[in-house]
Amino acid sequence: MNNRIFKRILRNKASLAGFILVSFFALVALFAPLLAPAHHEHNPYQLPQSSYEVTPQPPSPQHIFGTTEQQYDLYYGVVWGTRLAFKIGITVTFFAFIIGLFLGSAAAYFGGLVDEVIMRFTDVVFAVPSLVLAMVIAAMLGPDIKNMMIALTAVAWPSYARLVRGDVLSVKNRDFVVASRALGARGPRLLLKHILPNSIYPSVVVASLDIGYIVLTAASLSFLGLGAQPGTADWGQLIAMARNWVLGSGADTWAYWHTVIIPGGAIFLFVLGWNLLGDGFRDILDPRQG
Amino acid sequence: MKPVEIIHLYKTYNKRTGRLWGGAEIKTVLQDINLQLGEREILGLVGESGCGKTTLAKVLLGLEKYQNGSVKINGLEIKELTKVGFKKLRRQVQVVFQDPYSSLDPRQTVRQILCEPWDIHGLHTDTTERERALRELLQAVGLDAAHLNRYPHEFSGGQRQRIAIARALALEPKLLVADEPVSALDVSVQAQILNLLKDISRRRALSMLFISHDFAVARFLCDRIAVMYNGRILEIAPAEELLHNPQHPYTEALLSAVPVPDPLLQKKREPVELKNEYQRAAASCPYAVRCLYYQAAKCKSTCELRQTVQNHFCACAVLPFKNKKSSYAI
Repeated sequence: MNNRIFKRILRNKASLAGFILVSFFALVALFAPLLAPAHHEHNPYQLPQSSYEVTPQPPSPQHIFGTTEQQYDLYYGVVWGTRLAFKIGITVTFFAFIIGLFLGSAAAYFGGLVDEVIMRFTDVVFAVPSLVLAMVIAAMLGPDIKNMMIALTAVAWPSYARLVRGDVLSVKNRDFVVASRALGARGPRLLLKHILPNSIYPSVVVASLDIGYIVLTAASLSFLGLGAQPGTADWGQLIAMARNWVLGSGADTWAYWHTVIIPGGAIFLFVLGWNLLGDGFRDILDPRQG
Repeated sequence: MKPVEIIHLYKTYNKRTGRLWGGAEIKTVLQDINLQLGEREILGLVGESGCGKTTLAKVLLGLEKYQNGSVKINGLEIKELTKVGFKKLRRQVQVVFQDPYSSLDPRQTVRQILCEPWDIHGLHTDTTERERALRELLQAVGLDAAHLNRYPHEFSGGQRQRIAIARALALEPKLLVADEPVSALDVSVQAQILNLLKDISRRRALSMLFISHDFAVARFLCDRIAVMYNGRILEIAPAEELLHNPQHPYTEALLSAVPVPDPLLQKKREPVELKNEYQRAAASCPYAVRCLYYQAAKCKSTCELRQTVQNHFCACAVLPFKNKKSSYAI
């Protein structure tokens, strides 16, 4: 079945493009130490800085993507930023998924008051715009990549809780679960052996496709100074450093184009790749489209 | 000590009105059910959809709570069982569901499905002993050991129902609740499964509650048949007696809708006309609204099963009818 889905992804042009983009970024992330050897051994995400001069330098043989404000190397930033993007996207999605899975299945399985309390709480989280809530949490915890991931997880889990709850509710009263209860199976066995294996599949797919959106939000937080610190190989941070150079220098509007376009393009292509891939998945898995 | 003894069973559902703090509406789904099931007896439960057949089955399985009355299985009151006692009860009562496409977990192999009851109850823990038991079980339902590592979607409906039956037999129960086990199958396969159920119930000395909406199927398998309507039992009699001599107007109406395989006879049979008189809804007989023989004075007061012929119980207060039309016996 998974093989069949994979084949259909490759047959659709848009989702094929998405697949290629995501695979490309995955390879870059994987081989980051080879593509751009680490400058600071203990923290490879720290950007190399060739001098303290403020004005960005255009692409040159030494810095093929040029340098941004304060001479941070953009090529190094984009390569290691890819790795950081995957790290943030996967970690946040993973924890959000686990929390959502736990709360959603508990709400659906126990029902009644438990359901009411958990789902009303998720409603409260949903009621605040997610970026605003993430900003508030990140600001309270202090600007740091780890804190930013906590903030992102805190706003991402409710959608999984809802999704899992719905799927568990629909499986909970299927005959094979009732039959298992009639055999004498109780809570944990029912949930782990019968209900969850038959209900988490859609959520897993959604989770895998959420990574692009999480990375975009992470970039927003970094841009606002609530995530990665200056000098970190983070796409949002690189764009934040380009803020003063967007308009170019007096007569030449395009003088510092690379400071914006290169990290911005990386985010753009990364999120585009995940979205195209996601559309492909949805087309295949949505029963209404047959 | 009878395998099943149900006395004055009432079950109600609280239906929430939909508002957050809103109250509940009480809906009675089983009303004054009295039933007994003897050893090795197969009792058919017939009625239209939504009349409470499945709810009654779930009460027997301990999957639904009941409010009033007593449900005893081998002399033990379900309501009063402790957790341990309840687990023991599971080994005595098992179930086969209607739809074999949803009653087997699609992500488990046949081996996992059949071993689950033993895992839960800690039976046949020894590997070779378990293999032997598995083979025996498969043989009993006419499946092959080669099927063990396959998934349910690789089987036909009839084979799936055999797997479901095997699972129900794994704990060697005394009572089998079969909830329309052949309704979802092709007619040719129905016959195979019915024969299998009949064979198994004889060989294993099972009692069975067989739920159906098909008189022909119930007649083939059952010793007695009970007719249910709107949560009440309206008539109960030995199978042939019920079909040859239906007494309750509702049973008659049901039988009139059963096609007979003789085209000449079939032409003469006209379905019983059903009324729709809502002002009669207050009557104690649930069938009053649709009944042809309604008599306000009698139907309003009582609706209790009473013996009309030997072993034939009927809940109609109007009986015997003066101007009864042609018989719809099949």
